Amino acid sequence: MLLGDLVRLSINSLLSQRLRSLLTLLGIGVGITSVVLLTSIGEGVHRFTLDEFTQFGSNLVAVNPGRTTTAGVSGALINTVRPLTFADEEAIKRLPGVTGTVSVVQGNAAVSFGKRIRRTTVLGTGPAVGEVWRMGVAIGRFLPDDEPRSARSFTVLGSKVADELFRDSSPLGRFVRIGDERYRVIGVMESKGQMLGFDLDDAVYIPTSRAMAMFNLEGLMEIDVLYREGLASRSIAERVKKVLIDRHGSEDFTITTQDEMLKVLGSVLDILTLAVGGLGAISLLVGGVGILTIMTIAVHERTPEIGLLRAIGADRRQIMLLFLGEAVVLAGIGGLAGLLTGAGIAWLLTTFLPALPTHTPWQYALYAELLAATIGLLAGILPAAHAARLHPVEALRTE
Amino acid sequence: MKPLDIIRFAGRAATGYPTRTLLMLLAMAIGVGSVVILSALGEGARRYVIGEFSALGTNLLIVLPGRSETVGGPPPLLGITPRDMTIGDAAALTASSAIRYVAPISVGAAPVSYRALERETTVLGSTADLFPIRQLEMAQGRFLPPGDPERGSAVCVLGHKLKQELFGSAPALGETVRIGDYRYRIIGILSQKGQSVGLDMSDIVVVPVASAQTLFNNPALFRIMIEARDRDAISRAREAVIRIIRDRHEGEDDITVITQDAVLATFDRIFAALTLTVAGIAAISLAVAGILIMNVMLIAVSQRKAEVGLLKAIGTPAGRITTLFMAESAILSLIGAVLGLLIATLAIWILARIFPQFPIAAPLWALAAAVGVALGTGLIFGVLPARRAARLDPVQALARR
Repeated sequence: MLLGDLVRLSINSLLSQRLRSLLTLLGIGVGITSVVLLTSIGEGVHRFTLDEFTQFGSNLVAVNPGRTTTAGVSGALINTVRPLTFADEEAIKRLPGVTGTVSVVQGNAAVSFGKRIRRTTVLGTGPAVGEVWRMGVAIGRFLPDDEPRSARSFTVLGSKVADELFRDSSPLGRFVRIGDERYRVIGVMESKGQMLGFDLDDAVYIPTSRAMAMFNLEGLMEIDVLYREGLASRSIAERVKKVLIDRHGSEDFTITTQDEMLKVLGSVLDILTLAVGGLGAISLLVGGVGILTIMTIAVHERTPEIGLLRAIGADRRQIMLLFLGEAVVLAGIGGLAGLLTGAGIAWLLTTFLPALPTHTPWQYALYAELLAATIGLLAGILPAAHAARLHPVEALRTE
Repeated sequence: MKPLDIIRFAGRAATGYPTRTLLMLLAMAIGVGSVVILSALGEGARRYVIGEFSALGTNLLIVLPGRSETVGGPPPLLGITPRDMTIGDAAALTASSAIRYVAPISVGAAPVSYRALERETTVLGSTADLFPIRQLEMAQGRFLPPGDPERGSAVCVLGHKLKQELFGSAPALGETVRIGDYRYRIIGILSQKGQSVGLDMSDIVVVPVASAQTLFNNPALFRIMIEARDRDAISRAREAVIRIIRDRHEGEDDITVITQDAVLATFDRIFAALTLTVAGIAAISLAVAGILIMNVMLIAVSQRKAEVGLLKAIGTPAGRITTLFMAESAILSLIGAVLGLLIATLAIWILARIFPQFPIAAPLWALAAAVGVALGTGLIFGVLPARRAARLDPVQALARR
């Protein structure tokens, strides 16, 4: 029997039982659809989250005061007996490979202009925000490069705060009250949207030293370090660590590199995608049982045909291949249909619900198709082996 | 035909092809089993988290400094404000009749050292009221003494793990440790209650709140934890807190009050939604099992044409034949569902043995829903084969071959 004959025989027998084949296909198809759709959503969420995190740039190392030995929120963000200082920041800035640093203090205060008051996040930052966090100003300019300890009282507003306080008039050059001090508005940030629930536009930026005075803080909450493209994050982290240990006498700070964070986040999201895909695969398993059932019935029904084939000289291997081929073709076509449906629904979701990002990577599609074929193969083995074991004379006599 | 006859008829048809029947039952059982197991996992996660939150204390209110205008967003977790929330504010709250305990909290990190050993630890400044609010337990000694919260004495209470790290098995009561630049006498050790949400209460040192403020040179409080007198008093307590603090802060609302109930309700909703989603995804496999049943029943109808023809010839109405085949698929899916329930119960029992601290349990609604959906699928997918059987022409059916 030639390969061509084998394929023709399989397809003929599938076509002769159209409804039955269609329903079996449907079973596998639904399974593959759910796997493809769910992994697409998982992958979409993965990309979305990574984009959210890398919009600040990926060559970042963050230094926080206090050493966290256990997971969880460290109390050091609020209070610590060994604060990070501007001198620390300057020492880090002088390191080779470091292209910029931003010191950060964060708090919450009322910002008022005329009669309008808005309670919002106050970020005390250095002047290098644009470069380190990759944020631009829409109008005006960002905080000037003053001596960090005696910066002038300028402020840059987030776009939402500017809209709320000034409506249509231009805020540039006006004075706003933040806390109990007067600040001159010198710029408005570009709208950046939300990042993981934190509205970046609903914030105002003032010089770090002024924020420290306003919130009565001794030290910085964080120093963000931008390093040159192409350098290993680990070597930069080592350098920062060494210089800070020299200055503080011990390791009383925590260094987080963006790479590590992304890697951890990425692996967590990968596991999530896998888990969700696994849930979908339950249907695939049931679909596999479906193929097994239908093939068992088919072998039973076609016993005389098998007897005839054996009588005219087909050997056991060929009979086995015939039925295995049928199972794989069933699963393969079902898989393909499921793949197209799944990718189609994912595409529709992205089109009509832009908030729910989906992404169907082609290698997943390939895996899904392979998975379907494998399931067909596995489900086909038992019935095919049964068919191959039939004795030709006995088989012919069943008629 | 009596119902018993219908069942007997269906049973005989099912046992006629044992392999096929077993496979169909397997498919249904996998579907029902996975729905039940997954919803049990979701329900377990929900109970676990809610248990963790309840361990924080009951009828809790938490006051944070700072307020964000955006509604529905997260509260300002690092709410540092120009106007501090002070010990005086906390003390003033005790005036309300709806409030039972008030514990001001100041948090920071500092090295704690005993002789040559040093450990960077979370330092929690609070008052004697924290003990009943957080439902703490002492292993040795006593908790911070009650008294004027504005006055700090140089005493501290160590968490269980911290005591182990610094002292090992040596006695620690009465010894002196150095925290930052100050020396504190140990008056108590917390029992090993483990960690609760967000903060590991075993790796911690508790000092009087005024001492913590001296240590960190910061008069601002991080949180005020409040226990309302009872469940009904929570909303009154909340209003009282907002009113008292507004009066003390020159008419400005610059605090956020969150109630534990609100947080719990949010988590409850999230987990319920999650469980439903996961169970729903698993339920897709029930549909696949339904398709299989329909497929096999269609085959059965064409194989049993002669039988149906005979039934019709002796005067069985079409409706009765429909009932017969529908009953067969319904019985198949029911037995499959029961098998699935058995598998799921076994799996849950094993999981509960392996992870005794995880309260895994299948919610009743999930059991009912799984069996219901299985039965529904069997009936829906049984309609087509049953109608096909009922429409058979008796003469044609009998004259096959």
